[in-house]
Amino acid sequence: MSLHDRLEAVFQDVFDDETIVLRDTTTASDIEDWDSLAHITLMYGIESHFGIQFTANEFAEFTNVGDLKQSLVDKGCR
Amino acid sequence: MRVTESAPAQGRSSSEQERALADALGAVHDVELPAPKLSLDVARAASAIGDDELATRWALRVVDADDDYVSWNRAARLIAGLTAPPLPRVAARLALLGTGTTQYLTPLLRLAARRRGIDLAIWEAPFNTYRQVVLDPKSPLYDDEFDIVLLAPDDSAMSLPLFSEQPDAAVEAETERWARLWQTISDRTRARIVQCNIALPPRATFGHLGSRLRGSRQTMAQRLNLRLGELAGEQVSLIDCEGLAALVGKDRWFDDRYRLVAKQAVSLAALPLLARHTAAVVAAELGLAKKCVVVDLDNTLWGGEVGEVGIEGVALGNGPEGEAYSAFQDYLLELTEKGIVFAVCSKNDEELARSMFEHHPDMRLRLRDVAAFAVSWEPKTDGIRRIAESLDLGLDAMVFVDDNPAERELVRSHLPEVEVLTLPDDPAYFARSVADSLLFETGSYTSEDARRVDSYRGRAQSIQLERSATSLDDFYRELDMQAVVAPFDDFHLPRIAQLVGKTNQFNLTTRRHSLATLRDFMEDPSTVTMFARLEDRFTDHGLVAVLIAARHGSILDIDTCLMSCRVIGRTLEHTMLDELVHQATRIGCTTIRGTYLPTDRNGLVADLYRRLGFRPLGATDEATSWELDIGDRPTNEFIGVRTTEKPGVRDVTP
Repeated sequence: MSLHDRLEAVFQDVFDDETIVLRDTTTASDIEDWDSLAHITLMYGIESHFGIQFTANEFAEFTNVGDLKQSLVDKGCR
Repeated sequence: MRVTESAPAQGRSSSEQERALADALGAVHDVELPAPKLSLDVARAASAIGDDELATRWALRVVDADDDYVSWNRAARLIAGLTAPPLPRVAARLALLGTGTTQYLTPLLRLAARRRGIDLAIWEAPFNTYRQVVLDPKSPLYDDEFDIVLLAPDDSAMSLPLFSEQPDAAVEAETERWARLWQTISDRTRARIVQCNIALPPRATFGHLGSRLRGSRQTMAQRLNLRLGELAGEQVSLIDCEGLAALVGKDRWFDDRYRLVAKQAVSLAALPLLARHTAAVVAAELGLAKKCVVVDLDNTLWGGEVGEVGIEGVALGNGPEGEAYSAFQDYLLELTEKGIVFAVCSKNDEELARSMFEHHPDMRLRLRDVAAFAVSWEPKTDGIRRIAESLDLGLDAMVFVDDNPAERELVRSHLPEVEVLTLPDDPAYFARSVADSLLFETGSYTSEDARRVDSYRGRAQSIQLERSATSLDDFYRELDMQAVVAPFDDFHLPRIAQLVGKTNQFNLTTRRHSLATLRDFMEDPSTVTMFARLEDRFTDHGLVAVLIAARHGSILDIDTCLMSCRVIGRTLEHTMLDELVHQATRIGCTTIRGTYLPTDRNGLVADLYRRLGFRPLGATDEATSWELDIGDRPTNEFIGVRTTEKPGVRDVTP
């Protein structure tokens, strides 16, 4: 499974929606339930799935899925 | 919610949805406690076809599986999105007053409460307004009739300096602040107050030195928690968050990033644990605590089967295994001391089971600790029902503890009101498993409780059982039992010799043939030999039954017929007879003869031949003999039989 697919699976789990399809340009406004509350849950879900940690600053910083993937790659995820 | 709307949106036909549910159920078939993801798959598939009852049931299983935050959150959302979920029998309203963000905890708390049978409506006070909400007489806290007011502060709510010259006054001032809030709430509402004590962050600035400075913040904070407990008394319930943080590990409980980005003092990873414990305390306040623990004997209170190995042979008190069972008994004994009623439900010889309690030197639990004693060979569902009746307790007050997954499944499916624990394999973790269930969290401890327990003590009532045929037949069918029946072979001979050498209870003649004699039987063309292996949905029991019969003309005479007690009450004896009849017909016999030689252990099978349809032939003090004329007879419908076995299949039964 590619990093993209794994990330997509985490999104589907967190938002409990199998129909979510991620693009690098996907932002919070594209996913109905992705509010600030769900964002923290999402970050938690990504951290526990990939076994990495974001900095508190990164939590707030991500603007789209492309950024998120780049950060995961930088942290050694594949 | 998306959950319910998304399925039709995908354009799935109803037959596709049915199939999705069948697939999801297939993946959890035979699994006692499925991974949360699999339970959620079932729940989601069930909600797609509108079966809200099934969806709820499976979503709630997530709570039992583990404390994974993402799964809990999904389960909570899923249930919240159902149009008509079944409502638990108790409804309660709770006001949640926190010092930080409460929105992460709320759905998990509702989920955990529902698992405990409570439909919990939660009102959240606005962010960090717990003082205003309490003090303002016009606040929404006093609009509604709340049953519970939950005060959930984190350490940021404490104002204690790094060091105080007057630590007693500082601690008292902090304590007073909470006590005044409690007083105000109880003056204005009839709600029960539940207070979280303060989880103390690790890495105190004063380090080890701080623990011997009365004025250090860490010492003062510890005393604050103690003082909260003292002042709470009977009026306020406490949730020991400091203890929970230690349980899960403070580095897991505290994650300062969440404070920074979400004003959330408890990390998301620890929230399911906090929710479960809070729900348990709320359940106790609402009178939903369990009152009675019903416990199996063999391999639950001690290691091994007492009917086979005798009182001297069980693992108890010595060695790692024996000490694990002793520790579990110690824990159960402590439960009785705090007011939980202890009852025994076991398939066993009653006299032998009683003498374990009376005579084994390492038993911690004695007959005086036992309120009801349901020991027989009948189904445990009947035993539990009778225990409930005799103690005048509801089935929903009972918790069943048994090492055998098949018994647990039987009770789960036929007595859904009874809470059934999934015990781990290792007895070292039995006590922990019971404790972690939080089912015996009680709201108070008074002299009344101690007296109530005394009133049950020493009863050790014998519970007489009758067969309830309907549930038993269902049980057998649900077990999906399969037997392999085959003549003796070299490969299985050692295990056969072992069974012949040690089986006591289900043994008609107790003839201890040697390995060499058994081999002679195997090679003798005029002797019919057979063994049976049995497996069911849950377990492969291995080789568990042995039968030897010698041919004398048209009569086939049973020399040995025995069965391991782990499969007694599974109808395997009927299948063995079916096969013997088949063999007898094949070699031209018309009659089967059986003999019962009584011993002080095998009273269980005194009546076996009568039950199998034999007619009595004669009786002396030493033996009874029986005969069966071979004719058309119904065969056992509960066990599927394979009469050959792939060569080389290893029998790993010890």
